[in-house]
Amino acid sequence: MQQTGDVSAVTFSSSDGNTLFGTLHSPARPREDLPVIVLLSPGVKMRVGPGRLYVPLTDALVEMGYRVFRFDFYGLGDSTGELQETLLADVYNNIEVGRYVTDTRSAMQWLRDNVHANKFILGGLCGGAITALLTAEREPEVEGLLSLGMTVTLASNAATPAKYLTRAQLDSRRQGYYRRLLQPKSWWRLLTFQSEYGVIWRSMKRLIVKEKPATQAAPIAATAEQRGNANPLFPPAFFAFLKRGGRALMLFSEKDRLQSEYEEKFAAPFAEQLRPYLSQLHQHVVAEANHVLSFTPWQKEMVAVSRGWLETLHGAKRA
Amino acid sequence: MTETPFFFARQDARLFGILHSPEGAAQPLAFVMSHPFGEEKLWSHRVFVSCARALAARGHAVLRFDYCGAGDSSGMSADTSLDSHRADLVAAVGALEQRMPAVQQIGFIGLRLGASVAALLAESNAGQPSLPRLHGAPLVLWDPILDGDAYFQELLRSNLSTQLAVYGKVIDNREVLTARIRAGGSVNVDGYEIGKDLLESCGVSTLLTTESKQHAGPTLVVQIAATEAQKERADLKALAASYPQGTLSRAAEQPFWREIKPFYARASKLQELTLRWLDEVLSAPAAMPLHTAASGTE
Repeated sequence: MQQTGDVSAVTFSSSDGNTLFGTLHSPARPREDLPVIVLLSPGVKMRVGPGRLYVPLTDALVEMGYRVFRFDFYGLGDSTGELQETLLADVYNNIEVGRYVTDTRSAMQWLRDNVHANKFILGGLCGGAITALLTAEREPEVEGLLSLGMTVTLASNAATPAKYLTRAQLDSRRQGYYRRLLQPKSWWRLLTFQSEYGVIWRSMKRLIVKEKPATQAAPIAATAEQRGNANPLFPPAFFAFLKRGGRALMLFSEKDRLQSEYEEKFAAPFAEQLRPYLSQLHQHVVAEANHVLSFTPWQKEMVAVSRGWLETLHGAKRA
Repeated sequence: MTETPFFFARQDARLFGILHSPEGAAQPLAFVMSHPFGEEKLWSHRVFVSCARALAARGHAVLRFDYCGAGDSSGMSADTSLDSHRADLVAAVGALEQRMPAVQQIGFIGLRLGASVAALLAESNAGQPSLPRLHGAPLVLWDPILDGDAYFQELLRSNLSTQLAVYGKVIDNREVLTARIRAGGSVNVDGYEIGKDLLESCGVSTLLTTESKQHAGPTLVVQIAATEAQKERADLKALAASYPQGTLSRAAEQPFWREIKPFYARASKLQELTLRWLDEVLSAPAAMPLHTAASGTE
């Protein structure tokens, strides 16, 4: 991969008093009319993303003439500050309820002060995507969301993940059970009480008990079980962003629970409310990809779709 | 303490580093930290940061940097090799020397493959000194990779797991993957492509041998084990014994270079053990006078 343009190492202070570390990537001939794109760190991974996912994305965006900024949130990567959580799931959960909105707003302020940015696109994978949305709710200068695997649930329920599996996840689990029927190890687990009996039962129950079709009129239509771990901050933030004309690329990976969670815990129950804004959304599913888009063809597809979406928004082509 | 991010060059590569400079006058001994390969770097990142800060608080300058094809440095992992890693590490030593010219000795602290690369550079430099500040300096090897072949098999297993998770079956088995790399292609492991040069240079069973070493500095080999009760590893014991001043210690830590349930902001036991060992070797009467080491006349 050939890095294009110029890159500079940056430190800046957040409004909370932490020193945050980042890199500013500028094209050889930046287009001042384009927004600055800020890529936000997912989970506890630092500013390059898992598998350096943000590196090819940054290169492609810089080639198009965008300035791209990546930085580490406090307590993560190279930045100062300490996180007190002892479990990853709790860190994720706190990200999902907006822990890093303040840091993101500080980054935007730094970009206003130092590169005269006045329009932004915020993007990121998973925790980075929800942070982008929760920031966009407060920052009207955010015109677009480049969302890779938006999470609409809360991770602290990871302690009891089986409780909140979507229909698609249950069906996938059932297929897995079928595949392992002839494996002695699977039977050993079953007979020695190591299996997840609740999940087995719920996945099989779907074959026996006919589910009522989900009403699409209101969020209440989703069952408590389905919405049990839904992030209550997501719908109001998303609708507020769409209402003021925000545009979003909603890219998902086919083999990632986040896609079915988005469909079952948000898109279906909120279908009516979502309908007026569908033209502002560009949804894309990368076939067979996993959560972090680890294989190179998946990464390439993500980059191509992101580029296509931005070309639609701004007409920015490769320099 | 100040922390300064910067880029430095290694031929046509652009490497990213962060220099942790202590308050006031720095100790004559500084460190370069050598990170592990691939996603292990990201999972262990904060452990490196906290250790660098602890060392800087004790007066040592520390340079953390990203190898080519990792982090914010340029390049792709598929194009790297043991030689490129070694050249990156040499460039990092040069960058530290340039920014902290008063430093007399530069030690290494490395984890996993990063530890192996550091050990190999220290050893080749002991035989043919071209970096005088490394001479006699402390060398800290956290869970180093000795058998590179076994290590790369472990990496390939990660590719197989991804295949299994997304396709429901293994489409390309281990032999196919290995053949693809040897034919000049690459194989993806958690987002990082592994190419022929890396596999053939690092994926060998004799990556780090237990033959007698020339590196004269105090050397700490740390076995990272999930519990205190875990058995001592014979290979690491032999590695420590191969150094004139080698010590083997065990630190009870989870494998923080992988995805595990706990959030690892620091590896407290590993860090304390390392700092305590450093205090001991620096205060030992037999410790080499730093001005001698720095002069390169030893």
